[in-house]
Amino acid sequence: MWFKDMLDVSGKELRKVLSDSGVLVFFIIVPLFYPLLYAYLYGREVVREVPVVVVDECRSATSREFLRKSDATPDLKIISYCADMEEARNLIHRHKAYGLIHIPAEFERTLADGRQATVNLYCDMSGLLYYKALLSGCTMVSLDMNRDIQMERLSGMSDWEKDVMTMPIENEYVTMFNPANGFQAFLIPAVLILVLQQTLILGVCMLAGTENERRRAGSLILGAEYSNPITVLGGKALAYLLVYGFTATYVLCFVPWLFNMPQLWQLPTLVAFIVPFLLASIFFAISISFFIRDRESCFLLFVFVSVPLIFMSGISWPTSNMPVFWRVVAQIFPSTHAINGFARIGTSGALLQDVRYECIGLWIQSAVYFMTSLIIYERMYRSDKMPGAEFVISVRAKVRKNIRVAKREIKAKLQN
Amino acid sequence: MNKDHGFWAIIRREVRRMYSRPLYGLSIFFAPLFCYIFFTTLMGEGLPQGLPAGVVDEDNTAVSRSILRNLDSYQQTEIIKQYANFAEAREAMQKNEIYGFFYIPKGTQELASTQRQPRISIYTNATYLIPSSLLYRDMKTMAVMASAAVGREVLYARGANLDQAMGFLQPIQMDMRALGNPWLNYNVYLSNTMLPAVLVLMVLMVTCFSIHTELKDDTAREWMEMANDNVFKAVSAKLFPQTMVFSLMALVYLVLLYGVLGFPDNNGFWPMLLAAEMLILASQGFAVFIASAIPSLRWSLSLCTLWGVLSIPISGFSFPVMGMPPALQGLSYLFPLRYYFLIYVDQALNGVDMVFSAWFYLALLGFMILPLVDIGMLRKAAHNYTYLI
Repeated sequence: MWFKDMLDVSGKELRKVLSDSGVLVFFIIVPLFYPLLYAYLYGREVVREVPVVVVDECRSATSREFLRKSDATPDLKIISYCADMEEARNLIHRHKAYGLIHIPAEFERTLADGRQATVNLYCDMSGLLYYKALLSGCTMVSLDMNRDIQMERLSGMSDWEKDVMTMPIENEYVTMFNPANGFQAFLIPAVLILVLQQTLILGVCMLAGTENERRRAGSLILGAEYSNPITVLGGKALAYLLVYGFTATYVLCFVPWLFNMPQLWQLPTLVAFIVPFLLASIFFAISISFFIRDRESCFLLFVFVSVPLIFMSGISWPTSNMPVFWRVVAQIFPSTHAINGFARIGTSGALLQDVRYECIGLWIQSAVYFMTSLIIYERMYRSDKMPGAEFVISVRAKVRKNIRVAKREIKAKLQN
Repeated sequence: MNKDHGFWAIIRREVRRMYSRPLYGLSIFFAPLFCYIFFTTLMGEGLPQGLPAGVVDEDNTAVSRSILRNLDSYQQTEIIKQYANFAEAREAMQKNEIYGFFYIPKGTQELASTQRQPRISIYTNATYLIPSSLLYRDMKTMAVMASAAVGREVLYARGANLDQAMGFLQPIQMDMRALGNPWLNYNVYLSNTMLPAVLVLMVLMVTCFSIHTELKDDTAREWMEMANDNVFKAVSAKLFPQTMVFSLMALVYLVLLYGVLGFPDNNGFWPMLLAAEMLILASQGFAVFIASAIPSLRWSLSLCTLWGVLSIPISGFSFPVMGMPPALQGLSYLFPLRYYFLIYVDQALNGVDMVFSAWFYLALLGFMILPLVDIGMLRKAAHNYTYLI
């Protein structure tokens, strides 16, 4: 019975996973703690109270009002009133402050003349969030003060008339789905998906590396006794799917809940989307794992890929502005579709029909990587299934070992 | 002196080892090079242009159409579609067709012309933070301008000239100057730290891996013997060829960023070259420290990997360190990349005197001599180590 064989393989693979502490690190420990660390890191969502310095050359009631109000915004915190630009610059160079508000001497006089007065802002560009804080903080204050100034000048009108005069069309701003407009709700969904895919790849590759090391030492690969490769691959995939069912539930549901992140998903949509993602990742991992020769080399080959993968998904730099070449390359990896889909399902409450494109993409990837893993498995390990393969492999390993020993002896003799 | 012993012999042996495994080539050359090309071409535009946005115009009048026309004239925003109602636009946002939309309710013109303050709304999808923030800036300006346009007409009618009108409509204006990166170029902002970050990750992993494979493959005794049991000599000779290749890779990204792409580098090439060189040595030092302290390939490699990956967010170039929880703020001092980032801000971006960055260079120096603490343990491990699966 092929089904029983499959369960059999699955059970053996599962036992192998559970008895290998290295693999358990990838399958359990990393997914357990890494998302917590990241979510904690971005937990405050935005930067508040960015330290700035002030050079007030006007020293008037209006300029002091402007500065007082800036200091009162949640974005900014004035740490020093400097005598001149030199002193202010010094503080910025010492990383004590990240921005400078400069109010020129003619500020109040210009206002009194009824002309436009300028406040100069200088921003340290080591982080774009400083720029955002300085600009939005000061803009808020200036809008507020502009209204007051206008109101004063319009004496003799009714309040309603003043309102209309100062703001004929009002506007409001709504950031949908990420109410704090912050880093956590934007970056963490991508990190969560990536953690699942990358730990799967690393774990599966480590298992394959171990198997390859053992094979070189003379033992048979797992599943060699089954003639049908589909049962072997299916059994392995089933084992990984079982483990990742738990891991994914923890990573995708528990972590966002723990950190109060937006969670607008509906269960059927989430399940229908994550299953093809896991399948695609599993077969992708199995396909790659055939080329891994020993346990630890997967670190060097796959960890760095995580960094470009986050960017390929378009969660940070918009997909619409990527070069076509990278958009095509991005289609290779399950994470691209999964990050886009999960971010929209989880954060913006999209339904399955809204992520149709990504979902179909994941099913196609699952099918393609299943085929590639099947083909590679057949080509590489066909010899292991011949009658008497066990004998051939053990002889091969013994010969290799003898050659190594002989080489070392010859070398030692030459040295003497 | 036997010619199979000593510094040069170990170097020759290491070069042979590096040649014999494609893994080294892939992780020393290919991985950083791939990331260099990836990041600099991915964000080649600098600042995203023509971000897709939508509009819901329930008013459909001269006023609303003029708002839309003006909005489309912004370089960063491209109105790709007009939606019939709010729900349709929201769905388009959930499908990722647009990053934001303008909502102009019915009766906007009527209310505006009878001076009864209509309200228009801006919606952006902050799931995609960067396009959302950029769209917001354009849309907000547009909304304010639309409002000002109406107010200006009223003032003109009362006999004011342009100067007086602007003086009334916007008495205080902001003049924002972005020091060092006036274009708000994302490529400058990210690539300057992303490229060295990938290099650091690879240095940490390769250093740790190459030391511990000696133990795993049972060649460590031979290696120590070649150095006459002098662990300093053994380690420094072994890492020397790697240092050379990594230095070359550092030179490649420096030339790429500051030469080819012309990113701001105010204090010239040498301070950054010094920083990059010291960053590589500091990372190697840190990796040797970890490799000696934890006598297991798997665990020390795991820790080095964690350090390499974590150094990207914790160096604070995307999300500032001051916004992190205090515990992590303290932890950020333990990452070489953090100091490199601070040096880059001082030397390349802001062009301040070297004196201001002296501490950061010294910190990197500290990482370089860190192995002195525990390298003796490596010698012990090399003599009596057995690999366990």
